[in-house]
Amino acid sequence: MQIFTKNELAQYNGKNGAPSFIAYNGKVYDVSDSFLWQNGRHQVLHTTGVDLTANLDQAPHGPDLLDKFPVIGWLEDELGSLIKPGPAPAWEKY
Amino acid sequence: MAKVAREMVEKAGVDVDQLLELLVKNAAAELTTYYYYTILRANLIGLEGEGIKEIAEVARIEDRNHFEALVPRIYELGGKLPDDMKAFHDISACPPARLPKDPTDIKAMLTVLVEAERCAVRGYTHLCNMTAGKDHRTYDLSLSILNEEIEHESWFSEFLGEGPSGHFMRRGETSPFVSKFLR
Repeated sequence: MQIFTKNELAQYNGKNGAPSFIAYNGKVYDVSDSFLWQNGRHQVLHTTGVDLTANLDQAPHGPDLLDKFPVIGWLEDELGSLIKPGPAPAWEKY
Repeated sequence: MAKVAREMVEKAGVDVDQLLELLVKNAAAELTTYYYYTILRANLIGLEGEGIKEIAEVARIEDRNHFEALVPRIYELGGKLPDDMKAFHDISACPPARLPKDPTDIKAMLTVLVEAERCAVRGYTHLCNMTAGKDHRTYDLSLSILNEEIEHESWFSEFLGEGPSGHFMRRGETSPFVSKFLR
């Protein structure tokens, strides 16, 4: 699987025919075929080509909805290390 | 447009253009769901289909009512529906609730129905979160719709055997929460 830097991920923003990728907890997902990610946008608020880990805590759904999308790579941070999955979000305690 | 009504929402810190885009997307989801549920409802045949025909019909009509209730608020805030109905379909906040490959597979039918309702519950939860304490009218409307969508989800979930819905079926009325917006 491919390792993406944040700059590389930003190219996959669903615009001008580019595929739509998003990152969550270090994994990169291909959401190109999703009705809800058309043209690289989701519910007005989110765009593809970015790391959405911090945004998911505010979403009205959990990361389980990402399970249906193929994981096509890993995200690397600015220091060149793979981003490791963070602690479980608060809602997972319940 | 209700100029001052829009101003009040802006002053409360809501991005009204963003809110309008979400309201239009959810209105699209309601109208397209009404259309797709019409097809699903028509295909609920035989002994198994008979069992869920009534709740599917209530959900169908109530989702149409949700569309009717949303439209005035969109225009009050200075928004509008798209000129092109095909474009309206494609901006829906929820995926099309298409008829399963095997319409006699009741579990597949129920799965389509429950997933459509779950998408709606998420959408209106978000609208409530966005407008609570800031846009009182949109919040009231979103909460009313959310109440009915939660009931829809729980009915279909119960039929899938996921657990009790926790409430009784409504008789003789539709849209107990949203009807006040339909007068």
